[in-house]
Amino acid sequence: MENAWLIPLFPLISFLILLLFGKRLKEASAYVGILLTLASLIYSILVLFERFSEPTYVTKFDWLTIGDFHLTAGFEVNQLNALMLFIVSLVSFLVHTYSKGYMHGDERFHVFYAYLGLFTFAMLGLVISPNLLQTYIFWELVGVGSFLLIGFYFYKEEAKAAAKKAFIMTRIGDVGLFIGMALLFWQTKSFEYSDIFAAVDAGQVSGTMITLTAILIFIGAVGKSGQFPLHTWLPDAMEGPTPVSALIHAATMVAAGVYLVASLFPLFSASHTALMTVAVIGGFTAIFAASIGLVQTDIKRVLAYSTVSQLGYMMLALGSAGYVAGVFHLMTHAFFKALLFLAAGSVIHAVHTQDIEEMGGLWKKLKLTGPLFLIGTLAISGVPLLSGFFSKDEILAAAWEGGHPVLFVLALVAAFFTAFYMFRLFFMVFTGEARGNQKHVHESPSVMTFPMIILGVLAVVAGYVNTPWFGTFLGDWLVDGNEALAAHGHHEGPVWIMILATVVSLLGIYLAWLIYGKRSVSRNWLSGSGDMLHTVLLNKYYVDEFYQLTIVAITKGISYFLRFIDTFLVEGIVKGITGFVQGLGATGSKMQSGQVQTYGAVAFIGLALLAVIYALTGGYLR
Amino acid sequence: MSFETLSQFNWSVMTPEFIILGVAALLTIMDLFMPKGQDRRILGWIGIAAIAAAMVSVASLAGGAVVSILDDTFRLDSFAIAFKLLLLGGAGLVMFLAVSYEAKDGMEEYRGEFYYLFLTALLGAMFMASSGDLITLFIGLELLSVSSYILAGIRKHNLKSNESAMKYVINGGISTAITLFGMSYVYGLTGSTNLLAIAQSLSGLTDGQHVYLLGLSFLMIFVGLAFKLAAAPFHMWAPDVYQGAPTPVTAFLSVVSKTAGFVIVIRILLTVFGAATTKGPGSMPILLDMQDYIAFIAGATMIIGNVVALKQSNIKRMFAYSSIAHAGYILVALTSLSSNMFYSIWFYLLAYLFMNLGAFAVIQIVTEKNGSAKIADFAGLYRRSPGLAVVMGILLISLAGFPGTAGFIGKLNIFIGAFAGTPHYVLASIMIATTVVSYFYYFGVMTQIFFRPAANEDRFKIPASILVVLIVAVVGSVLFGVMPNIALDFMNNNLDILADFFS
Repeated sequence: MENAWLIPLFPLISFLILLLFGKRLKEASAYVGILLTLASLIYSILVLFERFSEPTYVTKFDWLTIGDFHLTAGFEVNQLNALMLFIVSLVSFLVHTYSKGYMHGDERFHVFYAYLGLFTFAMLGLVISPNLLQTYIFWELVGVGSFLLIGFYFYKEEAKAAAKKAFIMTRIGDVGLFIGMALLFWQTKSFEYSDIFAAVDAGQVSGTMITLTAILIFIGAVGKSGQFPLHTWLPDAMEGPTPVSALIHAATMVAAGVYLVASLFPLFSASHTALMTVAVIGGFTAIFAASIGLVQTDIKRVLAYSTVSQLGYMMLALGSAGYVAGVFHLMTHAFFKALLFLAAGSVIHAVHTQDIEEMGGLWKKLKLTGPLFLIGTLAISGVPLLSGFFSKDEILAAAWEGGHPVLFVLALVAAFFTAFYMFRLFFMVFTGEARGNQKHVHESPSVMTFPMIILGVLAVVAGYVNTPWFGTFLGDWLVDGNEALAAHGHHEGPVWIMILATVVSLLGIYLAWLIYGKRSVSRNWLSGSGDMLHTVLLNKYYVDEFYQLTIVAITKGISYFLRFIDTFLVEGIVKGITGFVQGLGATGSKMQSGQVQTYGAVAFIGLALLAVIYALTGGYLR
Repeated sequence: MSFETLSQFNWSVMTPEFIILGVAALLTIMDLFMPKGQDRRILGWIGIAAIAAAMVSVASLAGGAVVSILDDTFRLDSFAIAFKLLLLGGAGLVMFLAVSYEAKDGMEEYRGEFYYLFLTALLGAMFMASSGDLITLFIGLELLSVSSYILAGIRKHNLKSNESAMKYVINGGISTAITLFGMSYVYGLTGSTNLLAIAQSLSGLTDGQHVYLLGLSFLMIFVGLAFKLAAAPFHMWAPDVYQGAPTPVTAFLSVVSKTAGFVIVIRILLTVFGAATTKGPGSMPILLDMQDYIAFIAGATMIIGNVVALKQSNIKRMFAYSSIAHAGYILVALTSLSSNMFYSIWFYLLAYLFMNLGAFAVIQIVTEKNGSAKIADFAGLYRRSPGLAVVMGILLISLAGFPGTAGFIGKLNIFIGAFAGTPHYVLASIMIATTVVSYFYYFGVMTQIFFRPAANEDRFKIPASILVVLIVAVVGSVLFGVMPNIALDFMNNNLDILADFFS
């Protein structure tokens, strides 16, 4: 673990190599990226196993010392970090491999891999940061990586707009995070997690301040994890290449917000209000996004809304003091959602469209992708025996035990929605007759199916590390040796929750089958019952439009006003200043006549001036 | 002084100086006896080896107690060691530039002199760092200056080079006269030239008239020495001399000579005027009383350097003004007199050594290729040589003081130091404002490099010796920007300037 800092370094090396030699390497760039992320993965696995038997490892050094002012840097391997290292490097490695097939033939192939390296570096760096400042630096770097990757097809207007939107929306959250961080530093005189927790524990920070900083930091997480109301960038971010969506917008970056809340959990758990806020926002986002997912017709957008909804689940878990539940779902979700995205990419690769209305009947043509997609769908729907079932059950139990019956019901309904829209997606893509014009549909190359198979296996078995039947290994391990977290460990929920959850998800699947599989219920059953509702959902509750009408309009109004001031006032002043500086420069240059006499004279005048000032004010007279 | 006293001195503390002196003498003789047509680059390589050996021996002297020999005229303290390392490192990199410098304009015949004059100049600078007496300080200063005058004019048939040397001599003469005049007051009041003895006799000064005279001598010494720093009002020689001198010499003047200037300023001002009291023992030292004057010169230097640099079209002139500006930033640290002052100044000079010498290496390559030194010649460098362009980009970013580079940490040290003790709000604001101004001219060069089309597509050939400088410069600029505490740990573990300086 002493050398865990090497893990983020490998992708950085990949980024640098590809930046310098990418043009010459062309598609061989893939091997550089794949091998170096594989190195990260192997190392992460070793660190994870080492962490099972050894205590938390922290190392830090003074990064910058000026007088009495110290800033430290370093890295930390605790349970959460070790687990995240493994998840991130695994998904990154698989995506690197998958992209070799998916991006084949792209003109800027090497640039794509360079960006992937940069992003992976930033994400891994974020995960092992031991203090808030370092976290913040990598947090922003992750944002940059995501911006570059979403806007990878920069010649597409939508991609450019989406990249910009993602950057700006998450920046709004970052402002909150920054203020929260600065307030914490002001209160505790440190950026170190351990110092902050100690200060909170010792009651050096007032209750109001804890609530305030926690909520401000949560705003940062809301932006990054696409929670309501800052969720709108995530579906748009689907303009990026599909492997990117799997890496960034399913498994890693969007989970960073959840990770931040989890790693600052002792701070959050010190404030009831802060936890409540997290739970309510999470629960609301879960059902809100799930309901939008019901009617979307773009395969990636359905998955995007499902991601938003699942992230809401995680927040709900953390907010209900279910630390283990949140982290557990973060892990299982990373696997099955990455699987779903990669499978979706494989479908898109085969049919060259993202509109599910133009798909159908692909089950027979895509012999591997189909079953894998089904596994992912079953897992996310919470069908028993798959990973999603266990983690979702844990969350429901946490919400119930945490005393949030309303949120519990919301989560249950969201689970029903999830099962429904995911199977709607499945039936529309893989069963029935082929719609649209599908020629030359073929299975993806093995370089693409291999990562999906690995994720498929994980999506099935990952849940068994923490089950009520075979022991709660993960939960016990995560809170081991940490008193602050021990109280928020595994929740042994009542059995009826598990049964209820199963029934609900099976109901969702059954309904989806009736409508889209067997077609015994009209497709317009939902929209028929109320055209209004359907339109509202299809337009994603008009949140974008709402922003357009209110925030954007107000901002534009302000900006017109400011521009007015800018043109007439600021610009005048700026022109004055630059003119003055330029004039000063010109005078200075003119003084530089090349005459030595002038130079000598200037020196003497300068000396004389100082002497006169001295004579008038200095020594003798005082 | 009998032979016995002489032989009892601990001569080993002078090993670095002896190495440089011996090799300089050796090169003189070798140059004399070498056949006329033979390539004299070998002399340059021997010089580099000598500098490396001297660096090793300086480093090995670190950590010991303060030793002073020759009746306290030569002292080896932490301050001397820290700054000698800078001087030697800077001179070593300059020598790498010098061996690959294409001899033109009558320099062919004097190539040997070119190398050993660098060594004698360096020797002068090293003596300044180690001297404990006004006389040896002055001798060191003159050894450095006279060698530099010749170096500036070494391209005998080049008019610009001649002009440069001539202006340098005249301005140098004026400055020396002013400095000496100021020193004479100090001698007149104390009857001694030994710095510690002076400090001793001035520490109980009560007579108001003497204090007044010392104040005047402070101004004269400081203004006179401002010449070496290229600080206002004695900065005007710099652009002309920098432009006309061969590029390695310009690099030497802007880094090594400037470092030596700060060495002598700190030595004299702190020992003499830091000890001299205004109203009897225990009262405020004259140095603090005169703080406003240093602040005034620092402010003027920053403003003049940065503002006039905006208007330059010649890259060497632009760098002359930029080097004036950097001297201004360092003077801010001297003004603030914080406990961190030695380290801030040392670190800034270290960072400046890397970024400025690296930039001059690029300038040397580009100007030799194009035969002129216009900023416009950098147009399209990115297309012609991406590696060189990226290197120059990093160095310019560091010079501008962006986070992640040594230049940023250096400025941050000084900036925070300005608020230690009595805060210097005005000076700190000038520093920020002029730093912003500096972005314009540094990024002007960047624009040329990255966004302007190239006049031709000729590639550059980068000689091995310059490659060494480029690598060292970039690694140094980035390393000390990313891990600044390496330098601090080195200082803390090996040297204690504050404790040594006044003992």
